[in-house]
Amino acid sequence: MTDRASFEAQVLPHLDAAYNLARWLTRDPHDAEDVVQEACIRALRYFQSLREGGARAWFLTIVRHASYDWIERHRDRDGGDAEVEVAADAESEPAQIVERRGDSRALAQAIAALELPYREVIVLRELEELSYKEIANVAAIPIGTVMSRLARARALLRQSPVLHAIAPRRSGGER
Amino acid sequence: MNCAEAVLAIGAWCDGELADDAAAALSVHVAGCAECRAEQASLVALRDEIRAQVPRYVAPPSLRARVDAELARAFADSPADARADAPPAPVRAAAAREAFSLAQLRTWWTRERRRWFVAGAFAGALLAVVVGALTGVVARHWGSDDIAVAAVESHIAATLGGHTITVASSDRHQIKPWLSARLDYAAPVVELPDSPFVLAGARVDRLAGRPVATLVYHYRLHVIDVFVRPLADAGDAPAVTMVRGFTVARATGAGMEWRAVADVDPPLLAAFVERLASESAAGQPAAR
Repeated sequence: MTDRASFEAQVLPHLDAAYNLARWLTRDPHDAEDVVQEACIRALRYFQSLREGGARAWFLTIVRHASYDWIERHRDRDGGDAEVEVAADAESEPAQIVERRGDSRALAQAIAALELPYREVIVLRELEELSYKEIANVAAIPIGTVMSRLARARALLRQSPVLHAIAPRRSGGER
Repeated sequence: MNCAEAVLAIGAWCDGELADDAAAALSVHVAGCAECRAEQASLVALRDEIRAQVPRYVAPPSLRARVDAELARAFADSPADARADAPPAPVRAAAAREAFSLAQLRTWWTRERRRWFVAGAFAGALLAVVVGALTGVVARHWGSDDIAVAAVESHIAATLGGHTITVASSDRHQIKPWLSARLDYAAPVVELPDSPFVLAGARVDRLAGRPVATLVYHYRLHVIDVFVRPLADAGDAPAVTMVRGFTVARATGAGMEWRAVADVDPPLLAAFVERLASESAAGQPAAR
């Protein structure tokens, strides 16, 4: 198999996951495209470091790095309101939302409003369904930190002022 | 297990990430604890709602097109290679060519030694001829230019060792003083923002036994090393040389010699290094 075919077979199947992660981290559809393109360039450069299997976590690690680099470079620019961005985007590109067409955007806004360390573990766990071990590898944190950070992220979501507008079917909340 | 421990573990338990013994212990606790049961129900509800309500985005067609274009660019430059366990493309191709040329040289040398042995009395003269011819072969394969060879060797060592860049920056205002602080000359640093050549950083390497400013540029997936040193230290040399499959392109300007090393086409690298030298000579005011 040629290098190109090999890359396409192993890495490109995870392009959606890559875009989703970049989209949630940068909170902007255009930035996410730029980030994923940059991640592909890096993935091509480091393709030989990919061992058998694990291409998704490997590629998402690269995407995560590229996302953080992007965020760092554009730190001063992003004074935007995360909630507004998510809502506007959902209206303007309905075709890109798959499987999870929901009426409530509140939860999406709450996730987007989370700080990055909490936002990324929620996205990797609940949307990409990575195992704790895979999350630990992608986010470069110990597994114990994955567990505690997820617990904290979930608690933050449940306490989110955005969600209190929704009919409460959760337990009282504050612990 | 008490509630304080359980609360932390319930999330992992719902995610199926607890080991069997811990899961069993938690299950027992939860069965007898209303608060923890409520916590479990709450977490499950949150997870279900996220999966039902929250968008999981898919790559838009515009992104797929950009990625396709990126792949086309990447694999148009270097020949397809079936080996999956070799170093990155430029160095791999060069290494294959180097092995071939060394094998050629060894075969040639062995033939010459046999001839020399048979000739006998003219050993000295023949040795001189052999060495001269060997040098000729080296020159043909390696270029008539020791500095070009040394530059390529530095480039290969830095690329394989993963240390092409010591200071990473695309800003010449950061790189120029960094280099000046470490060398006994001021190397001009040029950015080409309207070109596909991106200044990525710099390091200090050695050439001809002396420290040399080494600028690193990225062109698509290629890494270009540019060795910049005072023209007074450099003799004359050809504008373009091939060494072990790498292009070495040379230009002069601003009192400096510029040597670019990369696995890219000679005309492209020659144009690139010419532009670096001419823009330095023309003077980018802030770079001085």
